[in-house]
Amino acid sequence: MISRLPGLSLPERVWNTARRWAVAWWRILYLGAVVLVLVLSPSSYGKGTRRALARHLYLDTAPVLLGFTVLAALISLVLTRIVVVTALSYGLSRYALEMVIRVLVLELIPLTAALFVAMRCTIPNGSQITRLRQTGRFDALRAHGSDPVRIELLPRVIAGVFACITLAALSCVVALVLAYLGVYGFNLAGLPSYTRMFGQVFTPSVTMVFALKTVFFSLAVALIPMAAGLYDTGDRTQPDSELGGLARMFAVLLMIEVASLMGNYY
Amino acid sequence: MNDENHNARQTPTPGPAPASPATDVPPVETLRPVAYLEIKAAALLLFTLALIVGSGLYLLYARGAFEPTQTLVLTADDSEGVVVGMDMTFSGFPIGRVRRIELAETGNARIIVDVPRKDAHWLRESSVFTLVRGIVGGTNIRAYTGMLNDKLLPDGAVRPVLRGDATAEIPQLMASARELLSNLNALTAQDAALASSLTNVQALTERLNGPGGMLGVLMGNEADGKKIVATLDRTNALLARLDGMAARADKQVFGAEGSKEALVPEVRATVAQLNGLLADTRTSLKKVDAVLVEAQAIGANAREATTDLGALRAEVESNLRKVESLVNEINRKWPFARDTELKLP
Repeated sequence: MISRLPGLSLPERVWNTARRWAVAWWRILYLGAVVLVLVLSPSSYGKGTRRALARHLYLDTAPVLLGFTVLAALISLVLTRIVVVTALSYGLSRYALEMVIRVLVLELIPLTAALFVAMRCTIPNGSQITRLRQTGRFDALRAHGSDPVRIELLPRVIAGVFACITLAALSCVVALVLAYLGVYGFNLAGLPSYTRMFGQVFTPSVTMVFALKTVFFSLAVALIPMAAGLYDTGDRTQPDSELGGLARMFAVLLMIEVASLMGNYY
Repeated sequence: MNDENHNARQTPTPGPAPASPATDVPPVETLRPVAYLEIKAAALLLFTLALIVGSGLYLLYARGAFEPTQTLVLTADDSEGVVVGMDMTFSGFPIGRVRRIELAETGNARIIVDVPRKDAHWLRESSVFTLVRGIVGGTNIRAYTGMLNDKLLPDGAVRPVLRGDATAEIPQLMASARELLSNLNALTAQDAALASSLTNVQALTERLNGPGGMLGVLMGNEADGKKIVATLDRTNALLARLDGMAARADKQVFGAEGSKEALVPEVRATVAQLNGLLADTRTSLKKVDAVLVEAQAIGANAREATTDLGALRAEVESNLRKVESLVNEINRKWPFARDTELKLP
């Protein structure tokens, strides 16, 4: 990155890079705050925006719901089988189910859901925002006295968050059901002990970390591509702001995951 | 927002954007109408809401939020390994859950266990609680009830918990192992009793293999060993002589084949003679027997004769009495009868 800036001395290049980096993160934080304010203000759900919101909610979530659920079910089945068979061969079968739930429901599925929503919805939405901005739609909206963030960006962010949470919730439920079926088969005999074990895994702190993680995943996935689409880098030598946004999104996801792991296991 | 203005100035340059930004720009995406959009969106929202609320309710149920419980306080001197949320089992079935662990003022750990009311009947006044920590796996709190007829455990009962700790014995085991190893070391040391014993055994085996062998070892020196050998030789000679004596005795008793001089044939002849003597005695006795039979017959006859003699004598006596009476009659009647009457003057 630094080598791409010709004619500048090293301190200037480092300064430029640091400034760009700080500005990009600041924009994400700023946009996050703006979106939060807009989400909480009732005027954002007026008659005009409600329809756009409903449309984005539906179109971002419904088409991917079935595909992702099937994918999650398949992953759950395979992982459950592997863990149960391995645990059985080591004589640790009573820990197998707990491990499946911890690995699948607590860790893997929220992350997978977030990545899936990012790939399927929010990154394309970020590109749309970029195109809208580039084609002058934002200026036109401003000329009409409307706020482009509220009209175009807010529904997409809310839809991204919603898709992420829905996908994660549904896949977790499906994974829980499949883990039960994979271990006990089609009968209800193991349901009391399964429920008890579920209650033991989901202690209040783990539940809170899980909920916060899912929400932050969805926020990161929904916000960062939008921020990358909404703002240009302001630097003519850096046209690839989408990729930068993607990298930042992955970095944030990684940080949230690490923080959740630390919260759960330290 | 300054950047936005800056961006807005930049935007017209790329792409097929319209020349005048003031005019209405058609949106990039095609806004295809979705049938029943609002209903679908509401259904989706409701679905997600139901999913989350259902999961939350299931979680609350799984954590026993809807179950009436009673409290049991277990006191232990060490709560290591006990975690909040762990089970208390009875016969392998979970009947309680640890709600809180706290340090009592006495320094003991207080483990507060929630027992659902429907399972509380397994716990009685006489129930015993143990805290078992395995080497592998977690700690277990177990309840044992010997008398199920006892009174029910009241709510808020405080019971001591017995510790059965597999790992607690490890230090003791290590101490024993260390002692054992030091003993082994002492045994196997260069100047230890075992080493000297082994040296002695080696010397012994060398002497065993050497001249004199076992006898030398047993007797201590070679001379005594030789005495033993000489004793054995003399014993052999003695045995040979005894053998000859036995042969001679044999010959005297049983004699050579066909000879009549030995003891046994003579005895045999004597026995034959005795047999003959006995046969003669038997015939003599038979004759005596016959004589006795005859004597018996004579005796019988004599007895009969004696009986007849008695009758005869009675008859003779009666006849004599008759004759006497007849004579008396004649005497009285007869004129020549003498006057027997005495006439007094």
